[in-house]
Amino acid sequence: METVLSIKNLTKRYGRLTAVNNLSLEVQKGNVFGILGPNGSGKTTTLGILLDVIRRTSGEFYWFGQEPTKEMRKRIGAILETPIFYPYLSATKNLEIVAQIKGVSKDNIDPALKKVELFDRKDDNFKTYSLGMKQRLSIASALICDPEVMILDEPTNGLDPQGIAEIRELIKSIAKDGKTIILASHLLDEVQKVCSHFCVLKKGTLLYSGLVDDIDKGIINVEVGAASGNLEEVLKAYPNAAKITEENGKFVVELKEGGAAELNKYLFENSIEASHLLTLKKSLEKQFLELLAESDNAA
Amino acid sequence: MLRLLKIDLTKLANYRAFNVLIGLYAVLIVSIPISVIEFLKWLKVKGAEFEGFDPMKIPVLHFTDIWQNTTYVYTFLRFFLAIVIILSVSNEFSYKTIRQNIIDGLSRVDFIKSKLATILLLSFGSAALVFFTCLITGLIYTPNLDYGDIFVGSEFVFAYFLDLFAFLIFTFFLTVLFKRSALTVFMLLLYRPIELTIIGLLPDNWDFIGDYFPMQALTRLIEIPFPRYWFQEIQDYIAFDAVAVVLVYIVLFVAAIHYKLKNSDL
Repeated sequence: METVLSIKNLTKRYGRLTAVNNLSLEVQKGNVFGILGPNGSGKTTTLGILLDVIRRTSGEFYWFGQEPTKEMRKRIGAILETPIFYPYLSATKNLEIVAQIKGVSKDNIDPALKKVELFDRKDDNFKTYSLGMKQRLSIASALICDPEVMILDEPTNGLDPQGIAEIRELIKSIAKDGKTIILASHLLDEVQKVCSHFCVLKKGTLLYSGLVDDIDKGIINVEVGAASGNLEEVLKAYPNAAKITEENGKFVVELKEGGAAELNKYLFENSIEASHLLTLKKSLEKQFLELLAESDNAA
Repeated sequence: MLRLLKIDLTKLANYRAFNVLIGLYAVLIVSIPISVIEFLKWLKVKGAEFEGFDPMKIPVLHFTDIWQNTTYVYTFLRFFLAIVIILSVSNEFSYKTIRQNIIDGLSRVDFIKSKLATILLLSFGSAALVFFTCLITGLIYTPNLDYGDIFVGSEFVFAYFLDLFAFLIFTFFLTVLFKRSALTVFMLLLYRPIELTIIGLLPDNWDFIGDYFPMQALTRLIEIPFPRYWFQEIQDYIAFDAVAVVLVYIVLFVAAIHYKLKNSDL
């Protein structure tokens, strides 16, 4: 596995405030890496340091195993926060500037604009664009150098549901091309839907780093509902049940072992016919809130 | 360097304020000598009596006086180009495009170089326009033209170039310092009166220091030429020490811009 980015003990202080605190991370080639954190947790600051627009206080980071230089940045397609372009220039002119900076051919501009479906508006000034179009143009600009790594910071910020879905599809299709994507977001659902790996930051400190697929592993919760009156008693007698809680007339059973099938069989043997049986997937949201709560308790 | 110049020109080429200001500046350069001549002609036609003296014979626009006279007047037009630079640099900060440029793969030094390249081009282009305007005006209006005299005094075009180049770099420095265009214009207008006040307040035996202030050094490149027409002595050459001082300031301002940008979060 090739390491695209490695961060070692990165720290950024603004006077007394520590925006990034001793952060260490690794991103491998082909990962879709989500950086999660509440607003002000240091996501954008971290990405800003990685892209040389913010000066680090201490620590190191390496792109492709080497010291960061401007040549590295030419291989990265990145958008931080809001889309930034010259408002009085057309999409094509704006992308020409990006192409010149990155030292790539202007022939890449039209395909990139087509990919984000802005080709029809390519000669209109940037300031006439809607927010969704601006976001799409910044993705086009990140795509223009056929980057090995894409960095996206809140790419769906301020978009309507349709726009969010479009950007999400776009990210997925880019990821399918084998590109490494680093995605900062406070939208957990978004990260769960598109990312393979994720980490959680809070006040500049790394709380957790792991695989998105690992979230579901471990404890299984099954939601059960039935017309029968003695459901609760029967469930309490179930040897595999670790905990039973009632929620809106249904019961959530935390299982020590086995799954929904075994539970259903047990209920049936006890002459209860379940009208509702659902294995609850642990959402990233839940995991995220738990992590934040744990760190609050620890503090 | 050429690539960096091209990048900066792409940013400016479709920027209306840039085109308007540059156009206005060029029109003024070309039209000032024409208006002066027309004014003198008008005086003559009006039959203004100067005790039998023909106003067309005042050699303001004749070789060899023309070079110093026109370049001296043109230095006042540098504010037009200064505003171009202020807009070009402050836009990068207000639109945050400097940040995106660096994210895309420009280094901070590249950014400074690209702006300096534009400043160099503007100064050089403007000096070239001034040179040809003076040359043509002189060729048309000089009576009893002596071809040996044509380029005598044309070194003032170089002084004009240096003056403009240094002034625009000073403007670049102020814009990097203050970031917002209105504030920078205000500071630029305020600076010269402040400098003059300080020079005025210097004790007599410290007077010579005044010559080493940046704007004072610039005005010393092309001294005011017109008192010669009422028979006063003027400095009709470029003072070497003024050139040296200006060159030192150019280096200092560029170093200050570099220091400021190198250490700041964008």
